[in-house]
Amino acid sequence: MKRLYLFLGKRLIFVIPQLFGITLVSFLFLQLIPGDPAVLMAGPFATPSVLENLRAELGLDKSLFEQFLIYISNVLRGDLGNSWQTTRPVAEDLLQRFPATLELIVLSLLLALAIGIPLGRAGARLKKGVTRRTADYYGLFAGALPDFWLGLVFIYIFYTVLTIVPAPLGRIDFFIIPPPSVTGSLLIDSIIDLNFAAFKNAVGHLILPVVTLGLINAGPILKMTQATMERMLDEDFSKYGALCGLPEKVIARKAFRNSLPSVITIVSVLFGFLIGGAVLVEIVFSWGGAGQYAVNGVLNADFNPVLGFVLVSAVFSLVIYLIVDLLYFYIDPRTT
Amino acid sequence: MTGKFNLFFRVLKKRPDFMLGYIIVFLIIIIAIFAPLFAPFDPIKSDAKNYLKAPQWPYLMGTDATGMDVFSRVLYAPRVDLAIALLGTLLSAVLGVILGAIAGFYDGSGKVAGFGSAFIMRSADVVQAFPVFVFAIAVVAVLGQSIQSLVMAIAFVNAPIYLRLMRSQCLSIRRMRYVEAAYLAGTSDIKIILAHVIPNSIAPLLAQLSVNIGWAILLTSALSFIGAGVEAPTPEWGSMISMGFQNIVTGHWWPSIFPGLALAVTVLGFALVGSSIEILADPVRTRKLLLS
Repeated sequence: MKRLYLFLGKRLIFVIPQLFGITLVSFLFLQLIPGDPAVLMAGPFATPSVLENLRAELGLDKSLFEQFLIYISNVLRGDLGNSWQTTRPVAEDLLQRFPATLELIVLSLLLALAIGIPLGRAGARLKKGVTRRTADYYGLFAGALPDFWLGLVFIYIFYTVLTIVPAPLGRIDFFIIPPPSVTGSLLIDSIIDLNFAAFKNAVGHLILPVVTLGLINAGPILKMTQATMERMLDEDFSKYGALCGLPEKVIARKAFRNSLPSVITIVSVLFGFLIGGAVLVEIVFSWGGAGQYAVNGVLNADFNPVLGFVLVSAVFSLVIYLIVDLLYFYIDPRTT
Repeated sequence: MTGKFNLFFRVLKKRPDFMLGYIIVFLIIIIAIFAPLFAPFDPIKSDAKNYLKAPQWPYLMGTDATGMDVFSRVLYAPRVDLAIALLGTLLSAVLGVILGAIAGFYDGSGKVAGFGSAFIMRSADVVQAFPVFVFAIAVVAVLGQSIQSLVMAIAFVNAPIYLRLMRSQCLSIRRMRYVEAAYLAGTSDIKIILAHVIPNSIAPLLAQLSVNIGWAILLTSALSFIGAGVEAPTPEWGSMISMGFQNIVTGHWWPSIFPGLALAVTVLGFALVGSSIEILADPVRTRKLLLS
């Protein structure tokens, strides 16, 4: 147990400078954005005295260093500014939209794992055959397909032609009353509410985006599983096991157990990537997630949402990496 | 040199899919250069009478909602996509190689240089802590929407990859006997980096470059798809997919599907070339492949 605390302590000390760096970069981005925020807020017809007052109110007349301190204290209090598009605090908007993105990412990664790991394991164990070839080429093809385009292809096939999925417009049909928000995940909330009509509808809406992201992200998971496991099967412990006459199945299981750290790494990297990267699929399916909110901010010169999103998602990736390090700690006893 | 060429062709013979990759890349470059000769129509001229025509003669891939010929636009698009991806990737490589060489060469040394090396690495950590796509969008937002901003965004996002690659190369080469000998003979740091470190790192760098160009094309088109990249009516695959997006639900699939297909084939081509270089750069893997 003492080992765990030591490890956690070391890791958390590392997080603080990282968080500081992220806040600093976000702040610098804000400074670099062309245009005077006071002019943007007051409009082009404001008199100089109005602008002067507004600048003083916003703290723009203070030094850059003081401004940075104010920015940090605001962020620490959970104040990320307001969005002029939604006229609401950014923190509230993000809180509402992040669960939508997370639900999508988590389900997609689960699907990606379900495809990538068995195929990768098979690819590493077999030397020839159809399965091996599929494993070899899957990664290449999945890496080349743009996910937003694949989503459109699926919409065309399954909505336009076959009409077996609901319209790709959001997370639930407008005529279905959504369950009261508890966790923010529609699936979990509708189960809590025992609202099975909502559950069924939400599943229907989730299928296509989850399959799109799952199929594409299975590629890197497969590649990593296959490459690491091939290496492990080449290690002395595997050869020794074979010499001792252990069944191939047992050796494969041991080799896979030793490949787990790399698989977890790639999943965490994908998770971090998808927090922002899922935005393309979110747009295709009008998902209304956090990424889409940030992109709308960029396109409409509404910068508080963008910064808020960047900050929250960077913090989120840090948390994920922390969890991953803890997982390493449990999987690999050599970690210190 | 002939030995190397020989090896190259033996690898291609063993893996015909790599050959396909080289053919795709070659064709895409030819198409990009000679687009005006191949394209039957003006790529940005809309014909109000012939909008959303299904693929038929003379519109091989149909027309989009504004009556522009999809085929001609697909052919013109690599001019924009490839140029942005190539420039951005090269810039990121130059930036990453220089910073990575400094960070690797002076790693752990005292004085100002050691501090600078640590500073470079921590900055890379911070850049990589941001979600890639969001960081790219933020760069475009700060610099304003233009082709130059896209190039910069790709350069910034990818630079840490080259930085880390170069740094690890540097760290291992620095400890080689001949480098220590050169150092003792009074060769300057810069000369050691230029004469020993960089030439020894070319192969992994090249492999990374060609894989990265594929990613960069995907990133360019993704940014254009969300409206933060190349603007319509400039022919570009991502913005074409975005323009045809609304027509998919009404059954007009061609304005979006064809550009996406072209995009996927191109990225696949670069990925195949990349994995062939990866294998050629590693003598152990090359031998394994040739013996299999």
